[in-house]
Amino acid sequence: MPKCIIDGKELEFKPGEMVIQVADRNGIDIPRFCYHPALAVVAQCRMCAVEVEKMPKIQTACSLPAGDGMIVHTNSDKVKKTRASVMEFTLINHPLDCPICDEAGECTLQDYSFAHGAPDSRYEEHRRTFIDLDMGPVIKKNMNRCIHCTRCIRFCDEVGGFREMVALKRGNSTEITTVDGKPLETEYAGNLADICPTGSLTLVDFRFKKRAWYLAKTKSVCEGCAQGCNIDVNSENGVVFRHLPRENMEINKWWICDEGRFSFKYVNAEARVTEPTVRTADKKLDFTDWKSAVAEAKAKATGKVLVLIGSDLTLEEIRAIQAFAKDKLKDAALFHFGTPGHLKASDDKAEDKILRRTSKTSNLHGAEKLGLKGWDGQGKYDSALVFRGGRAMMLTDLRKNVGGAIIGVGVFETAAIDSYEVVLPGLSYTEKSGTIVNWQGKEQKLNKAIEPVGQSRSVADVFALWS
Amino acid sequence: MLVNNKKGFLNKFYLFEILTGLKITMRNMLFAKNVTIQYPEERRTYSDRYRGLHYIKSVNGVENCTACMLCPTVCPAECIHIVAGERPDKEKYPVKFEIDILRCCYCGFCEEACPKDAIKLSNIYEMAVSYRDKGVYDKEALLVQRGTK
Repeated sequence: MPKCIIDGKELEFKPGEMVIQVADRNGIDIPRFCYHPALAVVAQCRMCAVEVEKMPKIQTACSLPAGDGMIVHTNSDKVKKTRASVMEFTLINHPLDCPICDEAGECTLQDYSFAHGAPDSRYEEHRRTFIDLDMGPVIKKNMNRCIHCTRCIRFCDEVGGFREMVALKRGNSTEITTVDGKPLETEYAGNLADICPTGSLTLVDFRFKKRAWYLAKTKSVCEGCAQGCNIDVNSENGVVFRHLPRENMEINKWWICDEGRFSFKYVNAEARVTEPTVRTADKKLDFTDWKSAVAEAKAKATGKVLVLIGSDLTLEEIRAIQAFAKDKLKDAALFHFGTPGHLKASDDKAEDKILRRTSKTSNLHGAEKLGLKGWDGQGKYDSALVFRGGRAMMLTDLRKNVGGAIIGVGVFETAAIDSYEVVLPGLSYTEKSGTIVNWQGKEQKLNKAIEPVGQSRSVADVFALWS
Repeated sequence: MLVNNKKGFLNKFYLFEILTGLKITMRNMLFAKNVTIQYPEERRTYSDRYRGLHYIKSVNGVENCTACMLCPTVCPAECIHIVAGERPDKEKYPVKFEIDILRCCYCGFCEEACPKDAIKLSNIYEMAVSYRDKGVYDKEALLVQRGTK
């Protein structure tokens, strides 16, 4: 393997690798705005400048292929001076609205300005201003903050699949916009907010909800589809505020789709049933305590029991349910359910060429691994137990198959429990730890991000009360 | 061991010492300036740097605050609660701004952290309230301009 020397460290590299890639792999930090490992190299922000011995001029590390015996300095005086100049130039038109900007706290420009920039500005002219056009329901644009790194344009070209962002005009009046000012069509628009190094593109949904530094990040896995994208669940005080993609080169690389990004909404929604609920004599649903609700459920789950297990539950939960059904229910038939038309794992197909899968539950492949069959809506039963994790489809038409009581355990919405006799609130994916299996067969861990909302309890707790 | 140094019958009454002490007492009583003041009628003037009841500075009726959340971040007593929102004339403004003055320790960090020159600590030190919930000042109460800082 050829070797180059960066900051005195002798580092091996594969021929063709750029200096910034070699540095990244070895934990040497080179500041950058326009470079992103997923996107084409354009070398237009000039921030990643490094000094190379025997080269007369400063070089951009993102576009400089590493060479054998190359000696690179990332912190020499010349480099520091260049960075300071680049920062000053970049900040010429950047407004000082960090107090308003949602990016503040996780802003690359803010960090680099602090680390490499000057504390004051020499610029005395008018700063340019733009009128911002609507960019659709996901992204809010503020062109005044843009530093023309063109990551968003390259993302749409190379990853998002739609060439819908362009740079109009030139020089100081360059405006990054969608083609003809139309709203974004891509299903991956949220990633634009992630890759934007400034607050130019921010999420409409997260706008002004919380400052970035308040949020605790928990490593988890998206439960939006069978892809199992790695995410960070951002939460504070038991409220989930957003999902951010977490890098995993084998599954989702750096991205998540918008559906997965905003799939946390039901966790803290008002419509979620978070108290044990039992139907009273006058056919109304009423809150009660856990003990009597479970006793009611136990009394009503009789005869031939249909046990429906949402394929959004974790492997641990499904195993617990299987053991429970074997142990406590005399005559039980177990099926999994999740997405309409997905009875077996082979029904799950890629929805597009990037990430999305047609199975809208995360653990379809895991449920199948544990020997469950998909529910086809056939057969007659005396009573039913429905275990649902929050993402599987709502089963509202079970009446035609079930003569007796329908009991729900898990995450339900108040609007969808008309046919249920007892609802025991369970945990969503943010409130529990566990394992799910994605379509490639990879087992991934969910981690508990927040405390259970309301009186929700785990499946294991319900079974402990049952006996 | 006590030693009685006084000689003679009269000296044993300490008359001279009592008079010396009385002289100091009378001088302070009759001629010295009062330390206390007649409080409700008379007020002390404090330094401009005194940290009392908060207010949010407003210019032409528009609050300076943009709900950047730096004051609740820096607040050691965690007594500031802000909810941010958007309105046509201002991109970001505090929909809700509450300070629990019962929890506040008047350190003035909020004033120091504020990038918009909005939150101020006035000279007002009379903050007694008759009910606990009146100790939580909402945005309307904080927008009363209590000083010229």
